[in-house]
Amino acid sequence: MKIKNKQNLIWHVVFILLVLLFLYPIVFAVSTSFKSLNEAFNSTLNLIPKEFTLEAYTSILKKIPIVRITLNTFAIATIVTTFKLVTGVLAAYSFVFFDFKGKTLMYFILVSTIFIPFTVTMIPNFITVSKIGLRDNIIGVALPQLADATGIFLLRQHMRGIPRSLLEVAKLEKTPHIKILSSIVVPIIKPAILSIGIIFFINSWNEFVWPSLILKSREHYTLSLALQMFVSSEGGTDIPVAMAISVLTMLLPLTIFAFCQKHIINTFVQSGIKG
Amino acid sequence: MNSIRFEEVSKSFGKTKVINQLNMEIKKGERMILLGPSGCGKSTILRMISGLEAITVGNLYLNDQLANDIDSGDRSIAMVFQNYALFPHMTIEENVGYGLRINKMDKGEVKKKVVEVVDILGLNGLEGRYPKELSGGQRQRVALARALVKRADFFLLDEPLSNLDAQLRGQARKELVKIHEMYNQTFIYVTHDQIEAMTIGHRIALMNQGDLQMLDTPHNVYHRPANVFVATFIGSPSMNIISAKSAGRELLVGPHRIELPDMWLAQIHRSDSTNIKLGVRPEDMILSKNKENLSVPVDVKYVEDYGNRVGYYFDLGDEEAISIMSENIFGTGDQVYWNIKPDKLHFFDADTAQSLGYPKEIR
Repeated sequence: MKIKNKQNLIWHVVFILLVLLFLYPIVFAVSTSFKSLNEAFNSTLNLIPKEFTLEAYTSILKKIPIVRITLNTFAIATIVTTFKLVTGVLAAYSFVFFDFKGKTLMYFILVSTIFIPFTVTMIPNFITVSKIGLRDNIIGVALPQLADATGIFLLRQHMRGIPRSLLEVAKLEKTPHIKILSSIVVPIIKPAILSIGIIFFINSWNEFVWPSLILKSREHYTLSLALQMFVSSEGGTDIPVAMAISVLTMLLPLTIFAFCQKHIINTFVQSGIKG
Repeated sequence: MNSIRFEEVSKSFGKTKVINQLNMEIKKGERMILLGPSGCGKSTILRMISGLEAITVGNLYLNDQLANDIDSGDRSIAMVFQNYALFPHMTIEENVGYGLRINKMDKGEVKKKVVEVVDILGLNGLEGRYPKELSGGQRQRVALARALVKRADFFLLDEPLSNLDAQLRGQARKELVKIHEMYNQTFIYVTHDQIEAMTIGHRIALMNQGDLQMLDTPHNVYHRPANVFVATFIGSPSMNIISAKSAGRELLVGPHRIELPDMWLAQIHRSDSTNIKLGVRPEDMILSKNKENLSVPVDVKYVEDYGNRVGYYFDLGDEEAISIMSENIFGTGDQVYWNIKPDKLHFFDADTAQSLGYPKEIR
């Protein structure tokens, strides 16, 4: 990359510093996860382990059912993402392409739910899930999250960018709505669906408070709950183990982001602009 | 046999009336042009035929069958949209064959029909490309191909050439006429371009603010306009419209007294009022240094040289008039004569703006 002038140079320096700042905790976590407990306490700022050890990782395998926990996290994130996308696409389609009484009001109410804090719905949801008998069950974690107003909002924005005439061509050919949705609308906004899905997935993957309320037994835990087990547990925090779980937790989201970052950024930059 | 008939059709969007009691019949196989300035309701008429827009009041008959409540998918409509409306995620072949596939036609049959229209429109070799990989002219032809492959009874075109550059447009006009002659469907063509209207149409329906102004052949729309709006809308530059008063056998234009040609007497005296509007097309307004027996002296005020033609501006009474001639022979300030050709005049009622009609000697 060519640096054109002084101003550009300053911006580059600022951004490089910012990147280092954001990168530091991640590098710290990775390096500490390969340190022994002793070294972790003694040489906190040392980014390269003096003695490279897998102690922390073997200890995780011994202490908790980590494979099961990872699968739980994956299952919840997959269920939540799939349902949010399906309900979101259907809702957005009807908001964009159908005319019905009270549409504007309904949409307004729906979007306003975005602004209701989680803490408000947390307890009613907890009681409902408990009454249904889904406590300590990953389905109980997923259940209140099967639809999402933010997703509907974003999908609607993208669908509105589709020229009406495309739908009219389909109408003149007597295309049923489900076919219009599957063969025209979804393929056109596929990039948006993909990146919104990725964000749903990562959010669910990182979720802590709600699973911590619902899940009680270790074999039902998610990764963020497992991480919590090793932070300030009895006998103090085992830093290398905590970092090792952190590394495992961020492995999948980082990989997804690395592969799809262009998609994700485009979706948010272009939101509302026709492709 | 009429293929489309509007019977007292009105259309409102909320409180805004966009079509006002339209009565119109379109014959089978006819090329009908809906012409008018933007917002005149011409596209709305097209969309009512297609069923994409519902009719507020009145009846629409398609093939002599009341069609108000027929679903647009059941009307045998093929439509070319102004923005072409090609599916961006489908190849050209998939776009053209879309309607056939969705209606579960056999794959081999679809292929055969697609190949046929692709051939006719010269799109060979582009079948596997996506719309974004095509030029504007090619996209336009794909849109046409997709509409043609359907073999619908009604072929609707909504300003299909407006996104093309001038050169392509001329070529596409000829192609459209050729294609129509091949398939002979009823052709409804919306445009605001009078050249397209004059060259493509069998008949022109000229609309303004939701009202049908005139429905006739291009020749009559140009040579016998029904009212001042039609007279000034068709032709470029617009027809000169000059306020005048009739007084017996004379016509008063500003300070000038013009003897009325005999052929026009009956028409002029048909009007109750003496206030009339005199219309002359700029290209029919011949200026000369020499006075003839029916002429008005004018002063050239301003000259515009267009290269192939020259425009001379001058005042006639209170109005400014323009004459278009082929040669640049006069300069600003020249005193010349407008030598009147009686068969090139148009007269309108000043109050109603309606034509006073034409003597039988004219055309």
